[in-house]
Amino acid sequence: MARIIVVTSGKGGVGKTTSSAAIGLGLALKGHKVVLIDFDIGLRNLDLIMGCERRVVYDFVNVINGEATLNQALIKDKRVSSLSILPASQTRDKDALNKENVGKVLEELGKSYDFIVCDSPAGIEAGAMMALYYADEAIVTTNPEVSSVRDSDRILGMLASRSQRAELGLEPIKEHLLLTRYSPKRVEEGEMLSVEDVEDILSIPLLGVIPESQAVLKASNAGEPVILDKESDAGQAYQDVIDRLLGETVDFRFLLAEKKGIFSRMFGG
Amino acid sequence: MSKYNELFYLGKKFMVDTNIEFKGSSFTLSVLHLKTSILAEIRAGLATKVAQAPDFFYLVPIVVNIEQLDDTIEFQAVKSLIEEFNFTFVGFTGAVPKEQRQLIRELGFSFVNTAKASANKKTAALSGSATEVIPEEAHTAQNNFFTDKVHRGQIRSGQQVYAKDQNLVVIGSVSAGAEVIADGNIHVYGSLRGRAIAGATGHHRAQIYCQNLEAELVSINGNYWLSESMEDHWGTPVYINLTDNELSSSKLI
Repeated sequence: MARIIVVTSGKGGVGKTTSSAAIGLGLALKGHKVVLIDFDIGLRNLDLIMGCERRVVYDFVNVINGEATLNQALIKDKRVSSLSILPASQTRDKDALNKENVGKVLEELGKSYDFIVCDSPAGIEAGAMMALYYADEAIVTTNPEVSSVRDSDRILGMLASRSQRAELGLEPIKEHLLLTRYSPKRVEEGEMLSVEDVEDILSIPLLGVIPESQAVLKASNAGEPVILDKESDAGQAYQDVIDRLLGETVDFRFLLAEKKGIFSRMFGG
Repeated sequence: MSKYNELFYLGKKFMVDTNIEFKGSSFTLSVLHLKTSILAEIRAGLATKVAQAPDFFYLVPIVVNIEQLDDTIEFQAVKSLIEEFNFTFVGFTGAVPKEQRQLIRELGFSFVNTAKASANKKTAALSGSATEVIPEEAHTAQNNFFTDKVHRGQIRSGQQVYAKDQNLVVIGSVSAGAEVIADGNIHVYGSLRGRAIAGATGHHRAQIYCQNLEAELVSINGNYWLSESMEDHWGTPVYINLTDNELSSSKLI
C-alpha cells in the first residue's frame, strides 16, 4: 500500500511546492518509488521547481478526462529513476477534478509506487479539498507567523472532517507539522513565533523546521530541489524530515541563532 | 390547626458575670401552626385539643407559627388566647416578611428562628407562594440538571461546536477562529483562544471555565467581553460568571 501524503497549508506562499519537491526527491533518493502530483490546477508550479517544465506533454486533467494514459502523463525524473511527476494543467481550473476520477488515478498509482506526494493548492476550496481527500498523512506547512498558523489550524480542521478517512470513520489522517522559513534570530528578537508557540497553538507532532535560507530561492530558480544542496542548512533540514518520515528519530537542528564567536565580536562582525 | 415538635435554638453563649452564664442549648418545643387569623376559630380549635388531654398541655411552652397567615394578625389577642388555655407563650415563628418580624418585636414579643428556616423557605417556594427568589432557585436546579456534551480533541479555527440543552466540556484547546456554544456551562481543559458562548438560550447562571484564557470573545446570556476586557486574567486559568448582569472573571486555581 502506498502512503498518500498531502502537503498542505491553507495559506499560499508558505513553501508547499518547495517542500513537496524536496520531500518527493528525498524519499526517492532513499530508494523508494515516489510519484509527485501537482494538484494546483491552473497554477502549475511543481514542474518548474522540479526542473521538468519542458517535458510536460500531458497532464493530470488529461488523465482524469481519459485523454491520456497515466504512463503518457507521468514524467520520469532525470536525476532519480524511482521518481515521477504528474503535472497539473495550466489551462484548466480546479473544477476539472472530481473525487471519483482522482480516486481511480490514485488507486492506479498506488499499485506501482511506495509514496504518493500530493502538492495541494492554497485555500480551502475544492482544489485543496481534492488534494487532501484521499490522504493517509498530511504535512501541514506553516510559517512562524500568526496568519499562517491560523490558516494551518483551519486546514487541520478540514483534515479531521472533510477527508475520506473522516467520512468513512477510519483512523484519522496522520498530521505532521513542518515549520518553514524559520529564523532563530528573529525569534530571539521577538519578531517571529517560536517553534514552541506554533506547537502550542496547533498541537500536532513536529516533523521538521526548515530555516529561512538563500539556498531555497536559488534552488527554485534552478529547478533543483533544495534537498540536493547538501551544503545548505535548508537542504540538511529537509534531509532530517525524510529520515523522520521513514521512522527515524533525529534531533532538531537550526533552532538556535548562531552564537557570535570571539573574532566576530572583536571585529564587529 | 396542627401541632409539631420542632427543634429550637434559644440563644448563643455569652459570658456576662461569674455568677450567671449564658449558654446556647436546644430544646424541643411545641409549635402551634395557625391556619386562620379569626380568633373565634382558633379558640374553638384549641378548646377541642386541650379537652382531649388537659394535663398534657398544662403550662407547656408554646411557639406560634404564623407562616400560613397572610392577613393582619392581632398578635396581642393571640398571645392572650394561648395563655387563656394555660400554655406558656414563648414567641412567634415562621417564614414571614422582615417588616412583620420587626412589628412583632416592636409589640414586645420575641420572634424565634427555627433551625429549619431555610428548609421552610424552600417548601414555601415549591408550594407556589411566589417571591422573587423562587425563579432563581428553580433555575439553579435546572442548570444542575444539564447533561454534559464532551468533545475530545482540539476545536480548530472555523469549527463550531454547539451543546444544545447541555453543558460543553472540551478536552483540548479551542483555537482562535473557532466557536464553542452551550446552553449550559462551558469547560475548556486547554487554552480558550476562540469564542465561547455560554447560557446561549438565556441562562444567566451559566459559567465559563478554562485553563488558559486567551479568548477572542466570551459571552454569558448575551453579555459579552472582547479580549481587551480580559486583561486581568489573560493567559491564566479562569472562570467567568455573571454577577449582577455584569461579566466577572476570577482566578480558577
